[in-house]
Amino acid sequence: MKAVLEYWPALYQGLLTTIWVAMCSITGAAVGSLILGPLRMSSSRGVRLFALFIIEFIRGASALVALFWVFYSLPSMPHMPRLSPMVASILVLSLIGASYGAEIVRGGILAIPRGQLDASHALGLGKFRTLTKVVLPQALSQIVPSFAGLAADMVKWTSIVSFVGVRDLVYVGDSIRTATYETVSVYVVLGAIYWALCFICELIFQCVEHFLPLNKALRVTKCRSQPVPRAQMQTEGVKP
Amino acid sequence: MTWDWNFVFQILPDLLVGVWYTILITIGSAAIALIGGLLLAIFENVSTRAGRLVVRFFLGLFKGVPILVLLYFGYYLLPQFGLTLPAMAIGIAVLGLVYAAFCSEVYRGGLITIPAGLRDASVALGLSPYVMWRRVYVPLMIQRASPALINYVLTLFRQTSFLFAIGVPVLIGKAQVAGYQSFRYLEPFTVAGALYLALNIPFLFLLSRFKTKYA
Repeated sequence: MKAVLEYWPALYQGLLTTIWVAMCSITGAAVGSLILGPLRMSSSRGVRLFALFIIEFIRGASALVALFWVFYSLPSMPHMPRLSPMVASILVLSLIGASYGAEIVRGGILAIPRGQLDASHALGLGKFRTLTKVVLPQALSQIVPSFAGLAADMVKWTSIVSFVGVRDLVYVGDSIRTATYETVSVYVVLGAIYWALCFICELIFQCVEHFLPLNKALRVTKCRSQPVPRAQMQTEGVKP
Repeated sequence: MTWDWNFVFQILPDLLVGVWYTILITIGSAAIALIGGLLLAIFENVSTRAGRLVVRFFLGLFKGVPILVLLYFGYYLLPQFGLTLPAMAIGIAVLGLVYAAFCSEVYRGGLITIPAGLRDASVALGLSPYVMWRRVYVPLMIQRASPALINYVLTLFRQTSFLFAIGVPVLIGKAQVAGYQSFRYLEPFTVAGALYLALNIPFLFLLSRFKTKYA
């Protein structure tokens, strides 16, 4: 264990790289899923099928295959850029996260009662403004908890970027293993770090949940997030 | 570099061997995951507080640590204890255990939606705990969990690609070997990706149909 801790500076660099990749790809996935999710529910059949095609296409190939394809095969095609390992990994992880996140966003939007849409329509709001001003602020308090789980998964997915030569935790850990032969302690340390990262990621999302518009509004009105059953209301009386 | 069909046909038999391994590993680890997850969920439900803590700890471990790290851990660690298993067995075991952790959450979710009246009814009928689990709870748990479980099996299929890291000749491993032997990376990875998609998308489609029907 001591030998491993001597390599702490290298491990720290790897940790920073992992955190950087995870942060970029989680942000990318959040943006991507907020775009893909509503497109998946578009009223035009063409757009809907296009979004569905993209989502299933990215999801169906595994993350590793997609990463290898973008890193090794894409430059062989004409007019395609040779991406650096870092850019390729962030791009692929964001896309994969977005394709999983799109389904979460779709579920969140579907949970909004239909009456809200009719009301916005009656008020003369356009589709885009209905989405951004009415539906999403409410849907976010459903979306964010599920997205937190996805984000924790994505922290773990970042481990695959070592295969294309990004010097992340796994990459550094592997070189420390070959240098010291301290297999057990290296992987115990790696496991502990990843576990802690997932934990921190979930904590961050719990903080984010605290600041969501609907949750804030519910706190202000001191309303419970679940409506009080009618029978209970009559016996207890609703407190002002 | 242009697309070369001859090269594709040259590497295709090799890739199909990879497909075979991929399917084999998926079946093996899915069996461990589905059965192990069920047992974990039952054990967590019937055990004492301490037993529950132990189960929770293992679930947290398998869910919080990347599969890749666990694979390397098993691959390099077991020989130090004098246990030399083939890489494929280690891969199947690790994937199976990780997904058993995920599946047990799903089973548990199914278990808590079962109304308490059923337990009372089983007690009133004088069923032994074994019969109650075997005949009443487990069928209901499986029925309620099945869409999510199928989803996990499909994810498992995609995650088998990680096993190439410890040298198991899964599809992507074969593609990489074909790539660096000939310095042509376009065809092997494109064909591998197409094969993964071809094996995956029909099931994803069936699953979405299944979900709209039963959930």
